[in-house]
Amino acid sequence: MTTRTVSRPERIRDAVGVLARLILAGVFLVSGGLKAWDARETIVAVRAYQLLPESLVGPVAAILPYFELALGLLLLIGLATRLAAVLAAVVMVMFIAAVASAAARGLSIDCGCFGGGGQVEPGQTAYTAEILRDAGLLALAVYLAIRPDTPWSVDRFAHRRAAHAA
Amino acid sequence: MNGYGEDSAVAQSGSKSPGKGSTSGGRAANGKSTTGKAGGGSAGSAGKSGRTTAPAGKSRQSVAAARRSSPSNNRTQLIIGGIAIVVIIGIVVFGVVLNRQQTATQAEGYGASTQSVATASADGVVTVSKPGSTPKATIDVYEDAMCPACAELERQYGQQINQQLDNGNLTVNYHMVNFLNPRSPSGDYSTRAAGALLCVAQNSGSQPGVYMAYHSALFSPDHQPEEGGSSDLTNQQLADLATSVGANEAAAGCISLGQQTQAAATAATAFLATLNQVTGGQAQTPTVVHNGAPLSLTTNWLSTLVS
Repeated sequence: MTTRTVSRPERIRDAVGVLARLILAGVFLVSGGLKAWDARETIVAVRAYQLLPESLVGPVAAILPYFELALGLLLLIGLATRLAAVLAAVVMVMFIAAVASAAARGLSIDCGCFGGGGQVEPGQTAYTAEILRDAGLLALAVYLAIRPDTPWSVDRFAHRRAAHAA
Repeated sequence: MNGYGEDSAVAQSGSKSPGKGSTSGGRAANGKSTTGKAGGGSAGSAGKSGRTTAPAGKSRQSVAAARRSSPSNNRTQLIIGGIAIVVIIGIVVFGVVLNRQQTATQAEGYGASTQSVATASADGVVTVSKPGSTPKATIDVYEDAMCPACAELERQYGQQINQQLDNGNLTVNYHMVNFLNPRSPSGDYSTRAAGALLCVAQNSGSQPGVYMAYHSALFSPDHQPEEGGSSDLTNQQLADLATSVGANEAAAGCISLGQQTQAAATAATAFLATLNQVTGGQAQTPTVVHNGAPLSLTTNWLSTLVS
């Protein structure tokens, strides 16, 4: 590739993209890691939502943390960013729906978003804050799904190389 | 649409020009597409005229279309997507295997405690240990009889706790709280169950294993009421359950009359205050406190504690 000058809007877009990617990656790695670390708490947290039949509580609690870790890893290195972002958005929508339904049904639970979870004292719930945070993360995921090309990503590296080779 | 085409673009000098067309033209170009590059370049040099000679939207579309059909780019996309899916599946499968180990019932098959006895203090704490033992660890357990998480703790670690009690390695102080009363069908199940446990500790505490058996029974899926469910156990049913695990008549009578319910409510208020203190205002059940701090209940917490 010849020398290139990057336009200002593009630099901003690059910065926004890489920031969105890394923030989402960090959140998923931390939340997935904490859930994976405390598997029993995660079962409890999933069950506390009272959304799933008992036979599905275990499998969901087993898969979810590692799915989050996988998404976090993909986003961190920028591999298949669009796919990861779409999946992240789907996960966020499910989280928001679950927390909103817990709030609507008057459950006294902690969202278990970052591990922990289960019953808390009524009045110690934080549904609004949890939903707002998830909505912000959803926005980042949607942005990345629309503009998945970001600096310091395997995606960009691979496409450049492929373009070079062709 | 692959989404990478227009973003990986190079802006030529033309992008600095105020002309809208030139910016778009420049953006559409990348190192590979010579037509796009030329478009950007010419638009840049031609300034505003770029918009009239080569409509920006159209040129971008055609470049994107060309890129879509580019075999090398498509292949890259496919390879990347394939690797990503393999990574996801690999991590999840690994996790599920690991998870199965983490959530396995500890000391499976050990069963009920046979050696432990229970005593209730004046402030409602029930202390369980093996008589004459010098335990390696003392834990303070905070539970609510309605709490499903406590039932999960019981399922996974109940038998291991029994085992360590019987080995004389462990002392457990049970603090029953009642903040989930509102989630119980009767509105006061947590308190009544806590009172029932006090009745058993006071009257049948010296019978080996009876308190632990009653505690287990209350948290078993067969007996624990469902949150927001339609019915829970009456005092009489709580008494019958105590009898079924070997509690004496005095204990059953105490439970059926709800004699310790008020004491349990008073104790629960104090326990909740302590629990809030220990957890920094994040009271939740179950909480296991050791040396004044809540334990993270990961797989080997108990074996680590008594090793």
